[in-house]
Amino acid sequence: MGDYRPRRGGGGGGFNNRKRRNRDDDDNYDGGGRYQRRRYEEPPAIKLRKQVIGIAELPHRRVEEDIMNSAKTIADNYFDTDLTNGFLDIAVSLSLEQPLKIPFVAAIVLQTNTQKPEFTEEILKKFGEELQKKINEGHWRDAKLLLRFLACLQGLFMGDGIFPLLEELFGRAADLQTASSEDTLGLELVKTILLTIAYTMASSATECEAQAASLLDQTSIIASGPPHILENLVDPYPSSELGAPPSLESVLSLLQKHMQVEAKNGWMLPCLPRPWKGSRPAGEEDLLASAQKHPFPSINLPETLSTGHKQLFPEVYFSVYADQDIDTVPPASDPSALLIRDALSDAINVMHINRFVAGKVLIDMDQYFAPDTFVKRATAFDKIREVAGDKSAWKPEDVIVDATFSQLLQLPLPEHKAVFYHSVLTESCKVAPAAVAPSLGRAIRYLYRNVDRMDLELSRRFLDWFSHHLSNFGFTWKWSEWVNDVELPDISPKKAFILDALDKEIRLSFAQRIKGVLPEPYQALVPPEKEKDTPDFVYQDPSTPFADQAMELVKKIRQKASDDDIAGILSDIEQEASKAGLANPKVTSTDVYMTSILFVGSKSLSHVLAIIERSRERLSAIANQDAECRKQIVGSVLDFWKFQIGTGVVLVDKLLNYGIITPMSVVEWALIDRIERGTVLTKDWCYEVIMKTTSKVVSRVRQVVAKVRDPRLSDEERSTLQAALDKELNDMKDLFAAIEDAVGSIASASEDGMIESSDALRAEEEQILREWGAKWLRVFRRRSAVEQNWVKEEMAKPLPALPAEPEPTTKSTEVKMDDAPASKANGNSEEQRGASRGGDMDEDGIE
Amino acid sequence: MSTVERLDKPSAYYAAKKRRRQSDRDERDRDSQSKQEEDPLKDAATIYVGNLSFYTTEEQIHELFSKCGEVKRIVMGLDRFTKTPCGFCFVEYYTHEDALDCLKYVGGTKLDERLVRTDLDPGFLEGRQFGRGKSGGQVRDEHREEYDPGRGGYGRAVNERSDQYD
Repeated sequence: MGDYRPRRGGGGGGFNNRKRRNRDDDDNYDGGGRYQRRRYEEPPAIKLRKQVIGIAELPHRRVEEDIMNSAKTIADNYFDTDLTNGFLDIAVSLSLEQPLKIPFVAAIVLQTNTQKPEFTEEILKKFGEELQKKINEGHWRDAKLLLRFLACLQGLFMGDGIFPLLEELFGRAADLQTASSEDTLGLELVKTILLTIAYTMASSATECEAQAASLLDQTSIIASGPPHILENLVDPYPSSELGAPPSLESVLSLLQKHMQVEAKNGWMLPCLPRPWKGSRPAGEEDLLASAQKHPFPSINLPETLSTGHKQLFPEVYFSVYADQDIDTVPPASDPSALLIRDALSDAINVMHINRFVAGKVLIDMDQYFAPDTFVKRATAFDKIREVAGDKSAWKPEDVIVDATFSQLLQLPLPEHKAVFYHSVLTESCKVAPAAVAPSLGRAIRYLYRNVDRMDLELSRRFLDWFSHHLSNFGFTWKWSEWVNDVELPDISPKKAFILDALDKEIRLSFAQRIKGVLPEPYQALVPPEKEKDTPDFVYQDPSTPFADQAMELVKKIRQKASDDDIAGILSDIEQEASKAGLANPKVTSTDVYMTSILFVGSKSLSHVLAIIERSRERLSAIANQDAECRKQIVGSVLDFWKFQIGTGVVLVDKLLNYGIITPMSVVEWALIDRIERGTVLTKDWCYEVIMKTTSKVVSRVRQVVAKVRDPRLSDEERSTLQAALDKELNDMKDLFAAIEDAVGSIASASEDGMIESSDALRAEEEQILREWGAKWLRVFRRRSAVEQNWVKEEMAKPLPALPAEPEPTTKSTEVKMDDAPASKANGNSEEQRGASRGGDMDEDGIE
Repeated sequence: MSTVERLDKPSAYYAAKKRRRQSDRDERDRDSQSKQEEDPLKDAATIYVGNLSFYTTEEQIHELFSKCGEVKRIVMGLDRFTKTPCGFCFVEYYTHEDALDCLKYVGGTKLDERLVRTDLDPGFLEGRQFGRGKSGGQVRDEHREEYDPGRGGYGRAVNERSDQYD
């Protein structure tokens, strides 16, 4: 897979590719004289590298043969340090970048050990050093993967091999858990230990059952305990009842159970590959058993374990195929479920740098597990029972779609930006459309069916994904399936989903295009106003109050008139408004002014932004003097653009950037002034606007935290920044509190408070709105909790080391560490973990 | 990453330009040592986007590209005579990281039903928003022989040639 060339889309594709191919042929011309290409014999080091990188990829090759060949190549070329050092690097890189291949690369080492045990010493030294580094730095995923490699080598270790280290890790986990009920690192360590046990028991080692059993007894203390207090935060199907148990069992608890079942059944672990077995005659297999043994690399656990860059949370086993008649994916009760899910999630997440490879790895993933773990690729759903018979009915396409969704729909946040997982699903669909598209279809149906009870943030991510995905595939979808839901009231979750999905599709396209593929009953959901290029300007109708002044303003704005001219018209409006007895004349003039700006600039974002920039001083002056005016600005924008609300949402965001409006004014306008008994909560634009606003505030806090933690600050500088941070934290708390109050009051709106409460329909409506309120409350409480947790953890960490003196040719990784937290968490809130993004891989920068 | 090629690198376009510049410079400064140039793309937060339809709007571009990060601004590519969109644009992010994510996750996917081409860009400068083809649009639209309804049909020079025969 080493030289996988990504396909470059578009760009006059065909023509350019032809050009490039001809040039390649030209390059093989040998000085214009000879026409034959000289036979180029690759050096063994390169050949081995390709062989190892590509291990187990091709379905028709017998992987055991390749393993033997690679082992022999190493043994035969042991004097070639290029080759041996190359292998050492590749073994580590593959473990961290293509973890599905770990058992296969380890098998090469097992075989090499029978021929050149000296080399095994080098390998163990290398892995020992890398593992030590990862543990020191708190890169727990990488540590898990390196441990996995060593677990696969258990057969060549002296004594108890990997078990003492696992026991020590458990000891630390227990300490961490005892010290704090919020500790999550301990959970992560126990998860790693359990997974490592599985791979150890699937290795060539024998007679480890006792150690495994003893360790399982210990881990059950943590893993089978009561739900962690943070489990509530990550529940995808939250109950509205207070104190109800989480809907899904935690991964850790499941994993413990699974391993205990496996222990009872003699550690069959049917899904894990055993590439070390091979189909050699029995005599030859003993070579492994009789090969030289080595001591397990010595690892020192630092006194305080670092939590690393990722915020850790308990996990659940989420599946989009959870309610089918036939299990096309491992159910939560199956011991293979988490082994497969863990391996695939890692495969996806570490491959964020190349989504094409990620897609390919997923399509090929059945090669990296035991044969017959899955049914044949591209088996149709309705044929599975026939084809599978008694054997596993797990459909590989379902399993990979499931794994991808589990990552996209992870709470509190996915590891990478959501759009990465979108691109993985798109790629998988492109690589094997006939096989994957039906799996996606069933996943969509499942998610849609459950949109009512799903956590609000997850249903939004589903919505974003759905509309984006369709835009890559011609917007085709069987809308007719959901046609009955068109009758539902707009506030019901499914109907709201449909309305918002259509709006988002239109944003990526245009109204006519989307209407064109909708069945008749849906046509009314896309009103004619959405087909207009620009919204109507209400003041063009001369009978509208203040129409004259508005048209004057329009003229002045177009002429880029002076501030005084504008001021004159505005006070004119205020006088008239005051005479007419309007409550707040300044609000009226603000509305007319802002709407006029929006109209003049309605041609495109650039146009309106240019005007806003020109008018920035005046707008700020208006906004600063009066909170009502600030809110009115928000209102004017979102009202003017209500039929293309996406544009309105963008503009509100920009106005926040300019500092013309404040985060609080957005929250108050949307969730208090326009709450409309809660119906505003059913609109995705409202969710977007509040999410973007809180993300800005969160991002600001994180920036200040990074600044405060700059090791180069003087004490005085630090205390000034600390004061600034305290203020930002307070503002953030106030903002979340305001949101929670507003939506909380909808969530707990008493039935008595509603007029006509005897009306059954109305009562049902109130119930739906209460549920929306409760969902919103959960989401923003979670955001607030996650953020406070982040700040606490971050401030508790020791300050980063002072950056080394900058050298002209090398990059100091310490400088990199310093910069990373300062990266701006962006308006696309739910996708990013802010400063902790890009964690393990980019940090190490192994180029 | 050593076993897999990253997607968040500048494309061949920029590398080829650099090579041409280097070889031109090397010819001129044959005697003096050529300085090791700092990579102007190392902190680039701007993305060049190509293969857009002439009808793709700023709002559509914003909707897609903001999935990778907050968009600072979009500069539409224009025909230098008619000042109308001619199928490319610049998307500016606030951070280099967001630009790299754009290359990884959005480059080569569809916008307005066309596969978009994305590339790291050293930064927008006044004047770079105009097409440099003879007819005012992009060079690639001058001689294009395939019919592309989203980009004015046939290449402009091709159109002129065929007009000759009327």
